[in-house]
Amino acid sequence: MYWNNVETYPGTGYPKNWMEMGGGFDEAGDLQAGVVPNIEADYGVPWDYNHDQLQFGAQLKPNVEPTWGPNWDEDEGAGDFPNDNYFFYIPRICNHCSNPGCLSACPRDAIFKRDQDGVVLVDLDRCQGYRYCIAGCPYKKIYFNPKISKSEKCILCFPRVEKGLPPAFAQQCVGRIRFVGFLDDEEGQVHKLVHKYKVALPLRSDYGTQPNVYYVPPTEAPPKFDAEGRIIEGSNRVPMEELEQLFGPEVHQAMKTLRAEMKKRKETGKSELMDILIAYKHSDMFRLDQEYYQSIAKKSGISLAPIDNRYIQGKNTPNKFKFKVVEYD
Amino acid sequence: MTKITTALLATSLAASALLADGPILAQKTQRDVTKLTPTSKAWEYVKATTIHLYPQTALTMNDRKANELNAKAKAKEARVKAIHDGKNIAFLLEWLDGTRSIQRGYRSDVYADGFAVQFPVDYRDPTKLPYIGMGSDGRPVVIHLQKAVEKVYEPNGNGDVSMRQNILSKNAFGDDTVEFAQKVGALAVKDYQRSFISEGFRSMTEIKDGSEKFSADMKYGDNVWKGTLVRPLKDSYLNLKGAFPVAFAAWDGAKLNRDGQKLLSGWLAVKMVDENGGEKLVAELTAAAKGDAEHGKELIEQNGCTGCHQISGLSPASYMAPGLDNVGGYSTAAYLRESLVDPSAVVVPGYNRNAHPSAVWYNLDHGKRVSTMPPYPLDDKSLDDMVAYLKTLKSEVK
Repeated sequence: MYWNNVETYPGTGYPKNWMEMGGGFDEAGDLQAGVVPNIEADYGVPWDYNHDQLQFGAQLKPNVEPTWGPNWDEDEGAGDFPNDNYFFYIPRICNHCSNPGCLSACPRDAIFKRDQDGVVLVDLDRCQGYRYCIAGCPYKKIYFNPKISKSEKCILCFPRVEKGLPPAFAQQCVGRIRFVGFLDDEEGQVHKLVHKYKVALPLRSDYGTQPNVYYVPPTEAPPKFDAEGRIIEGSNRVPMEELEQLFGPEVHQAMKTLRAEMKKRKETGKSELMDILIAYKHSDMFRLDQEYYQSIAKKSGISLAPIDNRYIQGKNTPNKFKFKVVEYD
Repeated sequence: MTKITTALLATSLAASALLADGPILAQKTQRDVTKLTPTSKAWEYVKATTIHLYPQTALTMNDRKANELNAKAKAKEARVKAIHDGKNIAFLLEWLDGTRSIQRGYRSDVYADGFAVQFPVDYRDPTKLPYIGMGSDGRPVVIHLQKAVEKVYEPNGNGDVSMRQNILSKNAFGDDTVEFAQKVGALAVKDYQRSFISEGFRSMTEIKDGSEKFSADMKYGDNVWKGTLVRPLKDSYLNLKGAFPVAFAAWDGAKLNRDGQKLLSGWLAVKMVDENGGEKLVAELTAAAKGDAEHGKELIEQNGCTGCHQISGLSPASYMAPGLDNVGGYSTAAYLRESLVDPSAVVVPGYNRNAHPSAVWYNLDHGKRVSTMPPYPLDDKSLDDMVAYLKTLKSEVK
């Protein structure tokens, strides 16, 4: 099971139909019941091919009968090809929510959100594999590891973050599409995209988990064609309703801002927002500070990496030897 | 001759086995009980006690499918046998389960049948036993858990008989068995037998240093699970003497049972034959309710209990506080009384404050859970009556 995946939208996603599997909170703030996906039907089991036998004349075939997998419906999208078909990609990782559904659902206190940076982690010593966290996460971004009978999830590469390095998924991205930083760092790109320009929006914020991964919605899709194959001026293939469902009503204003800034850049050559999105330098994209973590470590009198001792096996559990055997008369 | 006499005695006792009002009698034997398995012949000579396991419905978990499957869960009958040899005690729990669910590797939404046996660390005062659900602050419990796993391994999962090997045949295969077990382990099929120490839901801690020497096993046949637990009477956690409390729980994997979605007994008294003491405990745990339940029901309504707690037939559909529908099945009278007089003595955590509908039923004061329920310091008679009513709250036995 993949902590990080890129899925085609519209599509069934990974796990299959994750948006219909419940979890998250209702308007009153109550946790909603959800379902735990099936490893074969919803995640898909990896398969291999009989390459070794091909030289002996065998037909190429998979070693299991595949029924589902990540990117199963890659690039299919929706609409009528070639007139108005469309799709775009959504990269998805754990949202490290401010109000995590997984944390709320855990009866063992095995999930915690770090005060320092909001990273949501599973204490594997406490986890007993009940899987209520999976039912509670509306993004289905916490997974059950059947081999150890415990839940696992994206750790936002917190050992790297503590050293002032961006998570690997962000630093290695050749498209430079990922920015990482503290939301309250007013000089940071993340703050500017989210709060100053309001063009980066959370995915399905209606689930009530206050997700902390933000997306700049897709503005530029090819225009539609009419019956004669001519371009319909001003048309957009991606229906706004689809974008609204994913990113909320704020998507309208975000699109307006993005288009206006693009125009401004074209006409004047200047736009801070476009400069941010073009992402010239890694140092601008990732404003993480090792000093920050070192100061916390120093204050707590603990060594760095990991600074959070809840993650150390057994640290979050009471000393069993405090329970003295009762001596009876 | 002795054996026949014992057998006859056992038969006559078995006829009266359906008396759950007395304690579970742990028979004394000269033989070593540590080797007992669910199918050991010796169990035939031990008296059975019928007990009831109730659905734990205080909290609703957030698994939609499991909640649908368990919506109308009823209590279940189970039989308990106990035998001790002066150093160790063995329990046999038998319960009906029409679906055999086994833990297998590489399944994300499959749950195993299982059972657990719980003991309080301190039971000197039978009116101050730990909260039945994983103990409570300052009142720790030891819990032994066994989930059903396949004991005959077949590594490729295709029912390939030639690949089957009984893991118990160590003598015949020696190192091969170890290697085989490693291969099977890599396929995520291994025994699921754990011990915990706990002072309430959030503190439940697995004992992993090997200091808890217990063994458990499960065997299925004729729609019945038989589970055994064997443990020392005294170790670094427990000291079981005279008479002591025990509680049993069973999970049905087919109903996606795990954690709180289980069937649970209340604290039951075990009296060790040929051992002195524990009369007070036996009396407390086997006593009939002494109040007037009818009047208790009126008091429950008058005091507005159903404004927050769910009691089927009395409460409105939505509720915030722990459900009381089976509270009479798995709670002792002393616990119910304490909860009325001092609601903060045990506060069932609602996990995150958002986890349960509508409102919080407790607040955090310096890390300690404080119930939003006010104390009801009523007169003794009223409390007895309310407790007598609450003791009647339990689902029908299937």
